[in-house]
Amino acid sequence: MVDRTAVFQAEGLVKTFGDLRAVDHLNLFISTGEIYGLVGPSGAGKTTLIRLLCGLATPTDGEARLLGARMPTDRRDVEDRFGYMPQERAVYRDLTVAENLLFFGRLYAMSRSRIKERTSELLELMRLPRQANQLTSSLSGGEKQRLSLACALLHQPDALLLDEPTIGLDPALRREFWDHFHELNQRGQTILLSTHYLHEAEWCGRVGLIQRGQLVAEGTPDELRHAAARQSGLERPDMEQVFLILTGAGVAGGVS
Amino acid sequence: MKLARIFSVAERVLRQLWHDRRVLVFMLLLPALAMLLFGYSFSGDITDVRVAFIDEDNTDLTESILESLESNDAFEITVLESVDDPQQLLLGEGYQAVIRIPDKFTSLYYAHFAMGVATSAQGTIDLTLDESDPQIATTVKMGLADAAMDLGEGGPVEIDEADLYGVEVRFIDSFAPAIMGLVVALISTVLTLLSIVREKVDGTFSRVWVSPLRRAEFILGYVVAFGLIALVQSLVVLAVGIAVFHIVINGSIVWAFVCVILFAIGSVGLGTLLSALAQTESQAIIFFPLVILPSVLLSGMMWPIQAIPRLLRPLSYIVPLTYSNRLLRAVMVKGLAPWEEPVGFIGVLVFVALTILVASAVLRQSASEQA
Repeated sequence: MVDRTAVFQAEGLVKTFGDLRAVDHLNLFISTGEIYGLVGPSGAGKTTLIRLLCGLATPTDGEARLLGARMPTDRRDVEDRFGYMPQERAVYRDLTVAENLLFFGRLYAMSRSRIKERTSELLELMRLPRQANQLTSSLSGGEKQRLSLACALLHQPDALLLDEPTIGLDPALRREFWDHFHELNQRGQTILLSTHYLHEAEWCGRVGLIQRGQLVAEGTPDELRHAAARQSGLERPDMEQVFLILTGAGVAGGVS
Repeated sequence: MKLARIFSVAERVLRQLWHDRRVLVFMLLLPALAMLLFGYSFSGDITDVRVAFIDEDNTDLTESILESLESNDAFEITVLESVDDPQQLLLGEGYQAVIRIPDKFTSLYYAHFAMGVATSAQGTIDLTLDESDPQIATTVKMGLADAAMDLGEGGPVEIDEADLYGVEVRFIDSFAPAIMGLVVALISTVLTLLSIVREKVDGTFSRVWVSPLRRAEFILGYVVAFGLIALVQSLVVLAVGIAVFHIVINGSIVWAFVCVILFAIGSVGLGTLLSALAQTESQAIIFFPLVILPSVLLSGMMWPIQAIPRLLRPLSYIVPLTYSNRLLRAVMVKGLAPWEEPVGFIGVLVFVALTILVASAVLRQSASEQA
C-alpha cells in the first residue's frame, strides 16, 4: 500500500550482508513536514536504512519507498526531488568550494547562473562566503561538513536524507546545524536524519530508536520519555536513559 | 542521456587535475620525458665499437675497405701496423673486433673474378670477434659485410635497396607511435583508476549515484576528459619527436589522433573496471606495475614480438598496447588508413568495446552494493 502523504516509508524492510542483518523487518512511515531522527549506536543499521531509502542499496526483502517511488527500481521518478548527505563528507577535495556546488548543480540540470545564485545564498547561510574559491582540502572539518550540507540542499529538494550530519562537530556548531534543520523544516522540507548523539533526539519532531536493525521504540521525545518513566519509575529520564530503558539495556548507570 | 551531464563530469575531472599542479605537470612532462629517454637510450644505433684494423696488403682495394669501415658511425677504427695475436688485442686491450686483411688479398680477389668460380682461392679477410655481446658482434659482422659489398665496380653482389615508405625508416620513427600509445594508456588508466577509487573513499560516489547522472554519462565524461588529455599528450610526443629526433611521419596525423583517442577510451574503461578491485588508494597503486610492465615488455614496443619466446607470445596478444602499436605504426609509418591494418584496428576496437562494457557493469555493481 502506498500512502501519498508518506515521504519515507519502509515495509517489512530487510537487508542482510552475509550473516549480518543490518536492517531487520523494519516498518517506517514518515509524512510530509516531519523532522524525524533515527537514533541509535554505531552499527545499529541507520546508514543502511538511509541507503536503502535513497536507492543506493537493494532490499533483501520488503519495500523501501521514497516520495511514493519504490527504491531502487523507480528511483528515476524522484531522483531530483531529494537531497542526500552521506556520512563521509562526500565533497571533492581537489575542487574549490564553489566548484563542488557547480558540479552537483549541473548534475541536477541547474543553469550556471542559477547555481551561482544558490551558491551565494547557501554559502551565506552556512557562513562560508569567503571560502568560495578555496580548495576544499584546505577547509576545516566543520567547514567541509557545512559544504557537504550545502551540496545536499543546492537543488531545493522536497525531502532530505542526512546521515550523521553532525558527527564530529563541536557542540556550538552542532546546535547551529540543528537551527538550520529546523529552519529548512519550517520552509516545508521533510527531513530524515540519523545520529548517535542521544541527546539530539530531543530536537527531533519524532524519534525512532534503532538497535540491531530494528525499530525498538518510536514517538515524540515526550512520548518516549513518558514511556521510559513508566517502565523505570524514574522521575524525568534524560535521552540517554530513555534509550537504555526502551532498548532493554537497563537503567542508566548500570550500563556504560 | 544528456550531453550537459557528460560535459559536467568531464569539466569536473579537468578542474580537479588543474588544481593538482603536480599531476598536471607530470602529465605534460611524462610524454616529453618518455620520448627523450626512450628515444636516446633505445635509438637502436650502436656506436663507438672499438675495432682494430690491420692491412697487410696495402692496395687501393684494401684502402677502400678501410674507408668504408671508417664511414660507419658504429666503429671507432684504430689502424695497426701488424698483429701477432689478435686474441690478445681483444682480451688485453679492450678491442671488440680485429679485422686483418692478409697479404695478397687483392690479387686473390681479382684472380678469383678472372678465373671464374670455384677454381681458385678467394680473397679472405680475417675477423676475430669478441662475441660476449651478441648485438655488438652482429653490428661488426654487418658493417664488414657492408664494406665488402661496397667494393664498387665489379664487386661481388650489389643490393639495390628500395624504400617501401618513400624514406628510410629508422628505429626512432617506429618508436614514437609506441611512446604515444604507452603514455596515453598509462595516464588514462592510472588517473581514471585513482579518481574513481578516491570517489569511493570520499563518499562522493554515493552522492553522484543518487543524482540524475547515468552510468553511461559518468564513463563518457571521463572519456571526454581523457580523450582531450590524450590529444595534448600525443602532440607533446610528436613535438619532441620532430624537434629532437627529426622523426618522419608518413601517414595522416588526423588518423593518428583518432587512433590515439580510441586507445585512450579503452584505457579509461580499463581504469574503471580495475577500480572495482580496489577499495583504497594504496590498493589501487598495486595495479600500476600490472599495467605498465606487460605494456613495455610484451607489446612489441622495444623489440619485435617475433623476439619474444614462442611460449610467451600469446600473452603479447592480450596486451592492449600490442594492437595500438600495430595500428599507430601502420598509420604513422606506413601511411595506411586504420582499417588497412585490420589486426591492430580490430584489436583496439575490441579493447574499447570490451572494457567499456565491463566497466559499465562494474559501475552498476559498485554503485548499488557498497556496504
